[in-house]
Amino acid sequence: MDNLARLQIARDLVTNLEAGEECKADELIELMSRNREASLFMEVGRLTRELHEALKNFQLDGKIAGIAQHEIPDAKQRLNYVIQKTEDAANRTLNAVEALLPIAGRMGEDARSFAADWSRFTRREMDMNEFKALSARLAQFLEQVQAHSGTLQRSLSDVLIAQDFQDLTGQVIRRVIALVTEVEGNLVRLIRCAGGSTARIEEPEAALCAEGPAVQGTAGSGARVSGQDEVDDLLSSLGF
Amino acid sequence: MNKDMKILIVDDFSTMRRIIKNLLRDLGFQNTQEADDGQTALPMLQNGSFEFLVTDWNMPGMQGIDLLKAVRADPKLATLPVLMVTAESKREQIIEAAQAGVNGYIVKPFTAQTLQEKINKIFERVAATA
Repeated sequence: MDNLARLQIARDLVTNLEAGEECKADELIELMSRNREASLFMEVGRLTRELHEALKNFQLDGKIAGIAQHEIPDAKQRLNYVIQKTEDAANRTLNAVEALLPIAGRMGEDARSFAADWSRFTRREMDMNEFKALSARLAQFLEQVQAHSGTLQRSLSDVLIAQDFQDLTGQVIRRVIALVTEVEGNLVRLIRCAGGSTARIEEPEAALCAEGPAVQGTAGSGARVSGQDEVDDLLSSLGF
Repeated sequence: MNKDMKILIVDDFSTMRRIIKNLLRDLGFQNTQEADDGQTALPMLQNGSFEFLVTDWNMPGMQGIDLLKAVRADPKLATLPVLMVTAESKREQIIEAAQAGVNGYIVKPFTAQTLQEKINKIFERVAATA
């Protein structure tokens, strides 16, 4: 109902009230409120339809169902992989350190004791028998140091390799961050739909085709090899 | 195998570059340089007389597989030995790398021994074909 029509009804209402036409005045008031309700119902109807459409489109977006069904459980597996990897690396490093610390300590102690004996020898305070014993101990010590240096190298190299967790978990965490960003984007869309805004948000970036480390129990497209041996077999089957 | 050869290590994770660099040093290779993705690596290779490339696959910017293809497509670099060290372990990826002309493929996590074996094998072949 436009303004002119409403103005006309208002004028009629005043005229009727002044003329004491109560019944007619009541009819006019009834007419005005009916019109008002009708436009309110229409507006509510429109909003309901829009919300319904928005929700329907939202459900049709298969990606969201996929996220809920696969990617979120996948992300949990991936984060568990991160925990496992970091724990393994920490244990590997700690094992090496625990093996090395006593060796380093013993080598220092032995060297100190030799230093004391050696300075007695250079001051000529050592008799022949003592010197013989010292030289036997020295020979044994040199042998030990050689063996220990092998252990040191192996353990330090183990510590070095153990740091690969940072790369492997980093790749996995990046994927989980991408997922969280996507979920966040979808939630913003849901809020906008519910708010009746038609504003669109940017689609999240497509995932890289490289997938990072294999995480057990997560979805992956295509068969993965289980280790270096299988890589070698595959390559040799290709003539490598 | 020339232990003084210039080696380029390409990985987006600096920790992995350090690991590989240290393992190579352990094997007697001191002359290494680093790049964090294919885009940085390619000009270095084109200008730098490198004799060996060790590269990751999954990197932002230019991926390792694209770096490999670019190397093989460049007449100056076409015969450069390339070792891929990557967490990508799908059969079709390994096949793709092989078809693109990779010389060796190591899946992460790997051991120092595996690295040594693959490098030895690559340079045995290079020597045999030279």
